[in-house]
Amino acid sequence: MADLHHTSSAQTSSQRFELTTTARTVLLSGVGLGVLSLLLVFFNDDPFHTRFWTNILLNTLFFTGIALFALFKYSAGVVAFGGWFVGFKRIWEAYSLFLIVSLILLLVLAGGLYLGYHHLYHWNDAATASSDRIISGKSGFLNKNFFTFFTIVALGIWIYLARKLRSISLDEDVRGDASYSHHKKLRHYSSLALPLIGFLSAAFFWLWLMSLDAHWYSTMFAWYSSASVFVAMLALTIGIILYVKSKGYLQEVTAEHLHDLGKYTFAFSIFWTYLWFSQYMLIWYGNIGEETIYFRTRFDHYKVLFYANLVLNFLLPFLILMRNDTKRKTGTLVLVAILVFFGHWIDFFQMVKPGALHTSHELIENRSSMGQLEQLEAKPMEVSQEEESHAGAAADTGHTGAVAGQNMDTAHSASEQAHEASTEGHASTGNHGEDTHGGSGFVAGFTLPGLLDLGVMIGFLAGFLLFVFREMGKAPLVPKNDPYYSESLHHHVM
Amino acid sequence: MSSHKEVIYGLYNDEEDLLKAVKQANAMHLPIMDVFSPFPVHGLDPALHLAESRLHAGGFVYGLLGLLTGFLGMTWIFTKDWPIIFGGKPYWSVPAFIPITFEMTVLFAAWGMTITFYIVCGLGPGITNKVLDERITDDKFCIAFNKASLGDTGKVNEFFRSTGAAEVNTKVL
Repeated sequence: MADLHHTSSAQTSSQRFELTTTARTVLLSGVGLGVLSLLLVFFNDDPFHTRFWTNILLNTLFFTGIALFALFKYSAGVVAFGGWFVGFKRIWEAYSLFLIVSLILLLVLAGGLYLGYHHLYHWNDAATASSDRIISGKSGFLNKNFFTFFTIVALGIWIYLARKLRSISLDEDVRGDASYSHHKKLRHYSSLALPLIGFLSAAFFWLWLMSLDAHWYSTMFAWYSSASVFVAMLALTIGIILYVKSKGYLQEVTAEHLHDLGKYTFAFSIFWTYLWFSQYMLIWYGNIGEETIYFRTRFDHYKVLFYANLVLNFLLPFLILMRNDTKRKTGTLVLVAILVFFGHWIDFFQMVKPGALHTSHELIENRSSMGQLEQLEAKPMEVSQEEESHAGAAADTGHTGAVAGQNMDTAHSASEQAHEASTEGHASTGNHGEDTHGGSGFVAGFTLPGLLDLGVMIGFLAGFLLFVFREMGKAPLVPKNDPYYSESLHHHVM
Repeated sequence: MSSHKEVIYGLYNDEEDLLKAVKQANAMHLPIMDVFSPFPVHGLDPALHLAESRLHAGGFVYGLLGLLTGFLGMTWIFTKDWPIIFGGKPYWSVPAFIPITFEMTVLFAAWGMTITFYIVCGLGPGITNKVLDERITDDKFCIAFNKASLGDTGKVNEFFRSTGAAEVNTKVL
């Protein structure tokens, strides 16, 4: 086996990854599909384009997390004297450089806070921020200036580290020698990266994800969302390695390495479940209204996602990857990788959507109740029904303050006008209007990912892959002077 | 382990030497009786053509048993045997049962596999097994042959010499 390894590595040591024309076409059309989906969403949306912006936010955060936790895993591997992953470390290096694209996307979203072209964050509504006691209490942290400042600083530090690790690693290819000075430098920056990613990512997820439900907080949240993207990152890595291998590259990455990635996926799926359950159980046990509202909303209106989350991200990977051989066989490994990648995207979907939708729909109600009072008399009977079914899309009565003091009937009737526009766009499943009593109607794009939301995700995924493959093509895939490369070649799990 | 058995064994200083020697013995068609190592050696199981252990399948069954014991036990206790309301929750509060279910799963799987392993290996309190060489639990790696199944001992001695065994001994078990 060892001899085989050496001949193949000699062949590929200077080889660079090249994307085939077919693959490029497929990925480009994936991006096209994403753009088309975004446009379709944009023109069939509520007045604030909430579905459009939540989709951009959701996918930006998801792929930022994947890039960030690739950097984290890579650094952790270097600091922990890990050798097994060195054979494919260029893939994680390429992931981590995606943070540059992330920064641009995040700045577009942060710009929306100033220019008001989206209403994703409750705390960014000036009227609410001053009248709502909970939100004004958090306003030192949750305000657009700190939000933007933190994003730039955190992403700046991460991008600096990602580029630094990458440049040291590439320089090692050319000038690495037996003094291992490159590797020592790599270790130096990696040990810097670990706390900087570990601590900053927690605040990053508080700001960008948890503050979508601005009244709510959970001490488990940063861990839970981090574990989610971590598993997605592992799943995507399995997929990319298998694809790249099928094209004749990275032949020295064998079932042994995939076995370890499978173990990581298995272990971190359980870790994610542990965090998900800990968060759920503490809130369930405490039974405090401000906290339970988070799960009440998701349990009542996002029931499919609530259970699909646990089945896709715990039950299936746990049962399928439990055996030794399923982590080594391509079929089962790919199946689980697809399941958990999609599963954690769904997990992010239900972290992002309910809070953001509630915020902007409440705002639409408020604005229309102030601006369009003369239309109150129109169709008073239908109005309440519309309103009830919309409780399915937005959260219900948990958030207080913004609508306090208003005549509820007024708010309801007037909101109908505003909702009319949004209903057209959202109810693509067709059953939106039917379910007016239970409040559990499934609305594509809101309580369930619709085809367009999947299209946007595919667009982002294709864009991410194009970026990663481009970065992989810029340098030899085999880090031949890495002192641990030989260990990676001789990695044996069983 | 009924009657006396004469065993010829070689001790190696390094697990790499051991692995090479095992492969060499296979090539020379020498019937290995057993191999001893102070720690698990990667690649040794396939080299010895050992079938994969079924202990983990047992572990799954024990775990499942623990899961059912935990969950159904809690269900029975809190709905039938001694129903108590905690914090206004219903008697049958699934989330509260999950930590106990998890603990029972781990407990059953761990104990079940340990006991099974002891039984399969003929180990247990009060049972003493004859030890070939005390250093095989410390720093030596050992390949043992049953002299009766070898026929020609010259071939074995040549094998030990050529594979770099640090010591070759004979012992009657």
